[in-house]
Amino acid sequence: MLELKNVYFSYKAQSPVIHDVSLTVKPGEFLAIVGRNGSGKTTLTRLMMTLKKPTKGDLFFQSNSMQNSTPAKMAHHIGYVFQNPDRQIFHDTVAEEVAYGPKQIGCTPAQIHTFVNEALEVTGLSHLADTYPLSLSKGQKQRLTIASALAMQPKILILDEPTSGQDARERDQLLHLLQKLHQQGTTILLVTHDMEFLSACAQRAIVMAKGHKVFDGTVSELFHDTCQLTDWGLIEPVALKISRQLGSFHLPQTASITQLGHAIVNLLGRNSHD
Amino acid sequence: MTNIAPITKLALTIFVTIWSIVLQSLPALAALIICQIILLAIARVGLNVYKGIVSLFVFAAVLAGMQYVFNNDMILAAITASKMISMTLVFFILLATTRMQDLSAALVQQCHIPYEYAFMLTAALRFIPDFLAESKAIQEAQACRGYSPQGNLFQRFFSYMAVIKPLVLKAVTKSETMALSLELRGFGSRKTRSFKNNVTLAFKDYAMLLSMILFTSYLMIQIN
Repeated sequence: MLELKNVYFSYKAQSPVIHDVSLTVKPGEFLAIVGRNGSGKTTLTRLMMTLKKPTKGDLFFQSNSMQNSTPAKMAHHIGYVFQNPDRQIFHDTVAEEVAYGPKQIGCTPAQIHTFVNEALEVTGLSHLADTYPLSLSKGQKQRLTIASALAMQPKILILDEPTSGQDARERDQLLHLLQKLHQQGTTILLVTHDMEFLSACAQRAIVMAKGHKVFDGTVSELFHDTCQLTDWGLIEPVALKISRQLGSFHLPQTASITQLGHAIVNLLGRNSHD
Repeated sequence: MTNIAPITKLALTIFVTIWSIVLQSLPALAALIICQIILLAIARVGLNVYKGIVSLFVFAAVLAGMQYVFNNDMILAAITASKMISMTLVFFILLATTRMQDLSAALVQQCHIPYEYAFMLTAALRFIPDFLAESKAIQEAQACRGYSPQGNLFQRFFSYMAVIKPLVLKAVTKSETMALSLELRGFGSRKTRSFKNNVTLAFKDYAMLLSMILFTSYLMIQIN
């Protein structure tokens, strides 16, 4: 669906920020890009949205080169959710804010009405349709920006650090929303530092370090070698630490707190029956 | 130029503005512009300053073109454009070679301007790059939602509202946060305040000030 072939990117007269990165995003995937600050995660997604042009290499969307594409053209296919929602909110109501994107890409009034209602429904913001957007909480604003992207019917949804500055409840709501969207067939690409969040929802992980792609595999493969995780500046999820500590009880080693919870409940159930 | 006291550079700004108004010949104005560019080159200012100067020349050329269309006087159009370039260039020299905190200290200590007013000026100047960066980020965010200004001037203006509105909201929020942050750090709590930077005048500053006064006096005598 989206393919990067030997992509390099550098700011003027500086060493490459992205160094020979090749990857493919397949339809229906839930992919996370992780790494230290300044490792090139966000730059990589900005290249995918053509907000930046590669200095070398090429990007393809559905086998077509993105060389001459613009962010406004890519908006028909890819929804990009920025870390800071305040940078894009400017309408007087939530519904108008969500309708901005479909209007820009030339949808008919009937389509706009349908897409806006669907996006508000899926993000749980229908009851706030007439609310002033800037009065929303950080989590609600984040969901509003997701709704704004979804209303444009994108095939891929890119989210840059969506959990930053959110409380536990808002984070859980976001997790459920992304899982729901993924189940509905949206391809999701997540840039995050949050290992718990990643382990709870992503299927595949890409690790960036100093502009290089140093890992590309499943989430369970990522957490297999904890020494490498530390080298890449990543923190082992708490669930994985606990399941390792409880290894002698024959618990499965998992990074997901939900799976660990189920495993512990099962273990306690077995023991009480014995 | 970076070693010259900020008050001398402020005086240079005032004198160059006077010279630009007083001088009426194209060669004299051209010489004034060249001198200012030489000063910038000596100060080894960054590439972005030169980019700004190129934009200034383009803008001045457009204005000169418009004036020529309405007045049909090429020399007058060229003189007006040169005056504008000259008066603006000196601000490039001031801002590119002076640290904001030094400028603020000079305004308060030597010009005896209340610190609140001096701070307003330096804070406004300090916010320009932030404002430009924020504007770029907002344009990118809206481009990802299909924003692409097209059509006639009015349509472009109305579509630009998608950038202006969040920019103004962010600026207001930023200024509120800054005001709070300043108050929390005791801004305006004392009548007297100290400055870390030394902005006192040296021999070269006195020499430069004297040269500027003498040259202005000469020009005034020539005119009369």
